[in-house]
Amino acid sequence: MRRTWRGKVWALTWVVLLALPAAAGAQAQRVGAWVDGVVAVEEPSDAAAVRRLEANDLHAWFSATANPEIASRIRQSRALRSAVSYGLYHELTFNPVGPVFPGTERLNPFAVPRIREAMNWLVDRRHIAQEIMGGMGVPRWLPINTAFPDYARLADVARRLEIRYRHDPERARSVITEEMQKLGATLVGGRWQFRGRPVSITFLIRVEDERRQIGDYVAGLLEGLGFVVERRYGRAADLNPLWIVQDPAEGRWHVYTGGWISTVISRDQAGNFDFFYTKRGLARPLWQAYRPSPEFDRLADRLNKRDFRSVGERARLMARALEMALQDSVRLWLVERQSVWPWRAELELVGDLAGGLSGSFFWPYTVRFRGRAGGVVRIGVPSILPEPWNPIGGSNWIFDTTLYRATQDYPLIANPHTGLPERQRVERVEITVKQGLPVTKSSDWVQLRFAPTIRVPEDAIIGWDSRAQRFVTVREKHPQGLEALVKSTVYFERDLFRKVQWHDGNRLSLGDILLSWILTFERADEQSPLFDRSYVPSFQSFLETFRGFRIVSEDPLVAEFYSTSWTMDAELMTAAGSFWPVYGFGPGPWHTVALGIRAEAAGRAAFTAAKASEKKVERLNYVAGPTLAILDRELEAARAENYIPFERALGRWIKPEEARQRWRLLAAWRAGRGHYWVGMGPFLLQRVSPVEKIVELRRFGRFPDPATKWLRFGEPRLASVSVAGPRQVTAGSEAAFEIRVSEGGKPYPPQDLQEVKYLLFNARNELVAQGRAQLVGEVWRVVLSREVTSRLTPGSNRLEAVVVSKVVSVPSFASLTFTSLPAR
Amino acid sequence: MAQAVAVTAPRGGVRQHPAARVLLYAVTRLVALLTAVVVGVYLTILVANMGGYVDQIKRAEIREQVALAVSLNEQMQRLPADVRERVAEQMIRNEERRLGLDRPFLSRSVGYLRDALLLRLGFAERMTSDTGSRLVRQIILDRLPATLLLFLSAQLLLFFASVAAALALSRRYGSPADRLVVALAPTSAAPAWFYGIFLILVFAAGLRWLPFGGMVDAPPPEGKLAYAASVLKHMVLPLASLALSSIFLSVYAWRTFFLIFSSEDYVELARAKGLPGRLVERRYILRPALPTILTSFALGLIGAWTGAIVLETVFNWPGLGRALYQAVGLYDTPVIVGSTILYAYLLAVTVFALDIVYAVVDPRVKVGLGGER
Repeated sequence: MRRTWRGKVWALTWVVLLALPAAAGAQAQRVGAWVDGVVAVEEPSDAAAVRRLEANDLHAWFSATANPEIASRIRQSRALRSAVSYGLYHELTFNPVGPVFPGTERLNPFAVPRIREAMNWLVDRRHIAQEIMGGMGVPRWLPINTAFPDYARLADVARRLEIRYRHDPERARSVITEEMQKLGATLVGGRWQFRGRPVSITFLIRVEDERRQIGDYVAGLLEGLGFVVERRYGRAADLNPLWIVQDPAEGRWHVYTGGWISTVISRDQAGNFDFFYTKRGLARPLWQAYRPSPEFDRLADRLNKRDFRSVGERARLMARALEMALQDSVRLWLVERQSVWPWRAELELVGDLAGGLSGSFFWPYTVRFRGRAGGVVRIGVPSILPEPWNPIGGSNWIFDTTLYRATQDYPLIANPHTGLPERQRVERVEITVKQGLPVTKSSDWVQLRFAPTIRVPEDAIIGWDSRAQRFVTVREKHPQGLEALVKSTVYFERDLFRKVQWHDGNRLSLGDILLSWILTFERADEQSPLFDRSYVPSFQSFLETFRGFRIVSEDPLVAEFYSTSWTMDAELMTAAGSFWPVYGFGPGPWHTVALGIRAEAAGRAAFTAAKASEKKVERLNYVAGPTLAILDRELEAARAENYIPFERALGRWIKPEEARQRWRLLAAWRAGRGHYWVGMGPFLLQRVSPVEKIVELRRFGRFPDPATKWLRFGEPRLASVSVAGPRQVTAGSEAAFEIRVSEGGKPYPPQDLQEVKYLLFNARNELVAQGRAQLVGEVWRVVLSREVTSRLTPGSNRLEAVVVSKVVSVPSFASLTFTSLPAR
Repeated sequence: MAQAVAVTAPRGGVRQHPAARVLLYAVTRLVALLTAVVVGVYLTILVANMGGYVDQIKRAEIREQVALAVSLNEQMQRLPADVRERVAEQMIRNEERRLGLDRPFLSRSVGYLRDALLLRLGFAERMTSDTGSRLVRQIILDRLPATLLLFLSAQLLLFFASVAAALALSRRYGSPADRLVVALAPTSAAPAWFYGIFLILVFAAGLRWLPFGGMVDAPPPEGKLAYAASVLKHMVLPLASLALSSIFLSVYAWRTFFLIFSSEDYVELARAKGLPGRLVERRYILRPALPTILTSFALGLIGAWTGAIVLETVFNWPGLGRALYQAVGLYDTPVIVGSTILYAYLLAVTVFALDIVYAVVDPRVKVGLGGER
């Protein structure tokens, strides 16, 4: 009996020992997604979504709430977790015409820059963020997002300006009173009068969100100053005709509660000055009324054209432009909304700082149940399939893109916390930039060079001859030669064409990539049956900077791209996406795109809504609806003909055998799944139930990467900062302070920090000194010299610490107040 | 409730052949109904477009969308100002053309009316159907089955249950059950969606017996029977909400109606003659009440066509109500006009058919006899 028991223990031990590595191996070898599937259902209400999450009826809600009560409920629930995004922001748009509206007796105080500037002191942004928005907002003073890299780069400048323009109602009243008197207005019984009539302000207040309360708050402040405020409440449809269509000189409004959104992290917001403050922004009457000072106008123009020679020069221009933006203040930036995206605690998800969950490129690669692989995730999205899906001109609804992004892959993917690209199908990239341009790089897979001139090779492709069906080279179009400012050479992974498979079983080929190039030109050619008027504007904007491309090597794929468009980050100029068969609205293998091409050329359907309207046909939908029957007919014909699109050009790369296989596998795919949506991402589209509003995604088992590839991304690594030091400093004596930067209770790795800066403000809120802290052991040390402390005035001074991370674009701040004593 | 109206010929005039009288009456009614449809639909077009002001709203929306698109597009922002302008202007022109804003509203409104009357529903301007079609017909057809399934079921259940219960109560006037229904009738002041939220909180969030919403489980079951069972399970709460919101008032109304008919002189006479109770009920109460019952039933049935916006939203039910609400929000005139004309034709045909049916079922109604019975 005893021997039997021992035997069983031994046997069990052996089984465990043998099974463990096998299980570990299976786990390690899991490819693509962590979970087996995703089921998306429609859930438009945030309150209902949270109830369903708590009841475990949903695992995640791919939308955000800005309702403070619901956000608080999410944060307090032990069953739920959440991420925060910062993409939406509110401002006050002022009518700048005047000071008297032409042809009227009506005064417009906001025509005066100093009055607009004084509004910065009048409005208490913290009140808006904390009281009106219940803590769901971050005060904003500047035309750059507080969560984006430019703010981190200029954090010291931003902090200085924020302190200069912090809430000071008495100062606002004094400046506004002075300027109103200069305009000839008089204060009678606490009410401003102009030419014998009360000065009334027409305030356009949007009612769809917290802008209603913000508008009421600001209107109350203006009334407190002696203005009569006429509040006009309305939705976009009611107020847009007034502020964006009508000439502001008609004087039908003074202030409007504006709102804007960023769905991806923008690493360069230098163009915002030109767009928001000058008449070059847009050809709308309001923009044409802008009259920035000549210096600000020049600055905005230079920044937009990237007319600077170094990063330092740009920083100086930006600093000055920020200052002038506040002096101009045709827009008064108020607050950035924090949106909370909830999911169940047992789920791991990676959100994007700007786009949250629905804007995250990484969610398909990272979504998983904690501690295990497999399982099916149920997600709720506010709307499902509101528009048709097709890769060329399909749905661009954020909630549709969230789902079809899971079915596509990328050569590079934007880092959700910094906006810089990460490698997915690219080995390395060589960027050559014209000498003198202030371009830098941060990634080791990018090689950055500078050259006095960059000539585009004669055999590079720059166009397409639709009639002859052949590419046009630089030699033909520009016999005198052509120069570029940037050359990007992209080295894709060596085994690219062997490892990347389409969901229907076909392999990626150069035909997929080159068809997208042909369509780039073909759709803008008026002689082509694929000509699409709505595409022309974006094609024109592309042509402005495009200088050619060249396939240097077919396998392994090496491609060159020439352009006159440049950015400060070399990583953002790779143009790797130009050699990848993902179109604006989804993945597009040549064979599924070809079916759409045939249908559009025959006038049976069209890719875009605009062309469908123009031709009075249906817009192509690859996943459901009546155009599936059209695509079925095209598939039958294409299979019978063994059709190769633009065969004269693409026949070199797409052989008849490949075409045969493509059509055969596509027919099997259509029969099995009931649609034509074929991608190459970590999930395939399993089934669509359009009326029931359900989309099912299933893990793609032949995805080339292990599931562990992006495990390093989790929550954004925001730094916690604290400042310690003496509470009293004697002027003329040295003072030392310590800045502790931590993350989850542990010191923040110094190699992940860009810089730790300090700003010293005296009792009058004037900047006395600034500099960088020095790392000493685990803390960052600031030593104020005798000379610096001798400049402090007696009273309460403040040392501000600004911490900028390399791995997350949101800077962190902390401050310490101390008293300075006069020297003995 | 609609009452049948007897059409009379002028006294002393030439007496027409009965068939001619019926034909004349039918033609007159048809012309009147068609006129009402034309006027109603054109008014809908004018109202839906705020007399043409919606064009301004749409133009403004396009400009705002383009402004937003330009602000979001770094490539566009990097373009020289004049090029950016040109591109933005072209985007605006393209969209205005697509929505027909390059033509004056009045001429478009006549086109809308003509197409509507001929049932050429055409393409939507902004909306697409669930299956991705731009055809107004498809937008309606995609949602019609789910709408009819829920609201027709509710209507039929409610109607027959109410009438049966009301008849029973009218026989037991003053009984505890009767008093209970009278007491509960005010509960119908709350709309169905209110009960919906309440029922979701109890049966979905609390007890977790029934789903929160939607039409079917996700993912939908593969087999037809399993699918049908899943749909039925998802119908329980919305049906219960609809029932709770109107059953007591409906029973109360019908019961009062039957009580009024029960006290007519001819009913008393029939009872005095000693006719059996069932016969009196069938012949002297139900038959004269039939036109009203039929009218209520028919109008209830076509009322199911429009769905219920808030209830559908609360239960995420893919009904026509939400689609039409969306169309109104998007100022999608073809969809608004398309659904209106279908409802208008449906209503006109129903009213016309009811006129005929009245004559068949109600012995008091005769056409063109000047009230002679």
